[in-house]
Amino acid sequence: MNWPSFPKRLESGLNGLCSQVSKLSRGASFRLAAFLCVTLFWVQGALAVPSYSRQTGLACSSCHYAPPELNAFGRKFKLEGYTFSTKPEISEDKKDHNSALHLLEALPLSAVFDTSFTSTKAPQPGTQNGNFEFPQAVSLFLAGAWASHVGSFAQVTYDAQADHFSWDNTDIRAAGTNGKLFGKQLTYGLTMNNNPTVEDLWNSTPAWGFPFVSTNTAPSPTAGAIINGGLAQDVAGLGGYAMWNDHLYFAGTIYRSEHLGASQPNDGTCCSFNIRGMAPYWRVAYQTTYGNHDIEIGTYGMHMKSTPGAITGAEDGYTDWAGDFQYNLTIPQWKNDVVSVRGTYIRENSSLVASAAAVPPTAGFVGHHLNTVEGDAEYHFGTRVSTTVGLFSVTGTADPILFPQAPVTGNFNGSPTSRGYIFNVAWWPQQNIGLTAQYTGYTRFNGGSTNYDQAGRNANGNNSIYVMARFVF
Amino acid sequence: MNSKLRYVSFALLVVFPSWLAAENGAASLFKSKCAMCHAEDGSGNSPAGKALKAKDLRSQETQSKSDAEISDVITKGRNKMPAFGQKLKPDQIQELVGYVRQLAKK
Repeated sequence: MNWPSFPKRLESGLNGLCSQVSKLSRGASFRLAAFLCVTLFWVQGALAVPSYSRQTGLACSSCHYAPPELNAFGRKFKLEGYTFSTKPEISEDKKDHNSALHLLEALPLSAVFDTSFTSTKAPQPGTQNGNFEFPQAVSLFLAGAWASHVGSFAQVTYDAQADHFSWDNTDIRAAGTNGKLFGKQLTYGLTMNNNPTVEDLWNSTPAWGFPFVSTNTAPSPTAGAIINGGLAQDVAGLGGYAMWNDHLYFAGTIYRSEHLGASQPNDGTCCSFNIRGMAPYWRVAYQTTYGNHDIEIGTYGMHMKSTPGAITGAEDGYTDWAGDFQYNLTIPQWKNDVVSVRGTYIRENSSLVASAAAVPPTAGFVGHHLNTVEGDAEYHFGTRVSTTVGLFSVTGTADPILFPQAPVTGNFNGSPTSRGYIFNVAWWPQQNIGLTAQYTGYTRFNGGSTNYDQAGRNANGNNSIYVMARFVF
Repeated sequence: MNSKLRYVSFALLVVFPSWLAAENGAASLFKSKCAMCHAEDGSGNSPAGKALKAKDLRSQETQSKSDAEISDVITKGRNKMPAFGQKLKPDQIQELVGYVRQLAKK
């Protein structure tokens, strides 16, 4: 259970939160560790990548309303495999039975440096409040065209708390742009990636959704759907996608577990999620533009059978059904300011047969569900400043064994319910320098508003102010 | 599962190589470098074209320009349009100028 859209390499939390997790019962810690240590510590690669700018000769704002939000051109660039280029290349045309070569003269490398400050309303027990991270994270990207039809967004990230680099969001794709179907244009391709929804084109799905940045030191709610970051960088997938007539988008990927840092072949002992067979992900979306209105509505989902801590035996089953929308309005009268509204709803039905049968059990019973609702509205003042208000809610089946009591991270009543809001102000004095202030407030956290962990902590004790500077070059 | 993997592998082997083949000719050059914004028919009537306010290449405004002027725009870029002078050879740019002329006749 990751936290909805609190992607971003919270590996930092590995030290702090994992120590909390280790205090839980053995069964519970397995599941919690899965979400907290694997997914919460994933910092969203919410970025505009300068090597794309160097490759295309276009400013960041050509593809982004504000990084990482893609406009129509940015979506097209991604759809076509990150390959559009206006810069010199080493090339040799195909002749007879010889292969062609189209190689960028410059290796498409980029770097990002994030530094941040976080303060929670109530200090976490035994720790100092007011936390300054310098850096919070540093990312290196191999992002650009590899060949005429093949390109990548590949990221490795150094995390200050973990003190090492680790593989981050990656999407390598091959695209064809010359297709026709029923007389209309068909752009199609293959993607290899390590995070369901990272290949998506819109900012209403989890991998690239709001909030675009987040702290890695404040507590985050425990419950979250698997598609909402729960498998990020813990799977490897191969999929296909197609956009027909610039309107209708289809994508599907099959995933297998790929545990970074664990021995191969996978014996399952390291990890909470071990995909049995293959886990399919699907996506259908319709987009249209008329006048200054840009609209997308879609659905996505995933099904997974998994055995915690093993590769044989009983299986837990998860099925996520989700819907999403995105609306952008450009206002010419106001210097082309843009209003963006996004939202998603995820319904997860899970059948925790293996967890309930485990000794000791890690779930109290078999049938569970989670409902996740996220929405946000943003106003872009040109490309320099944006303000966003977001709301989130997670509700579902209460289970004191699945969501056990623990200080700060636990639930005294077994309820997964969390609700709250986020205010964000971002200022980009240059298109590659971002300054962000973000306030996250909770009305309920892990099932309660007061004393939710039965250790005296209130939901609003986890309210946080987060200030971050990002340098992208 | 093994049979599924075999189907996937087969599909990759069949489909993938055709994508990697380089395309030739003014039409494919236009498709790969220009259509992203200007649309395949040159109208600029694509989501990306609308986002960047790409010109309608069939319009009187564009077609009234001389070949040298159109070539100059492709080579050096203008407003949000990037320069292609480093990427394309002069004869490729001339092919594109010719293709832009053809668009008005379609």
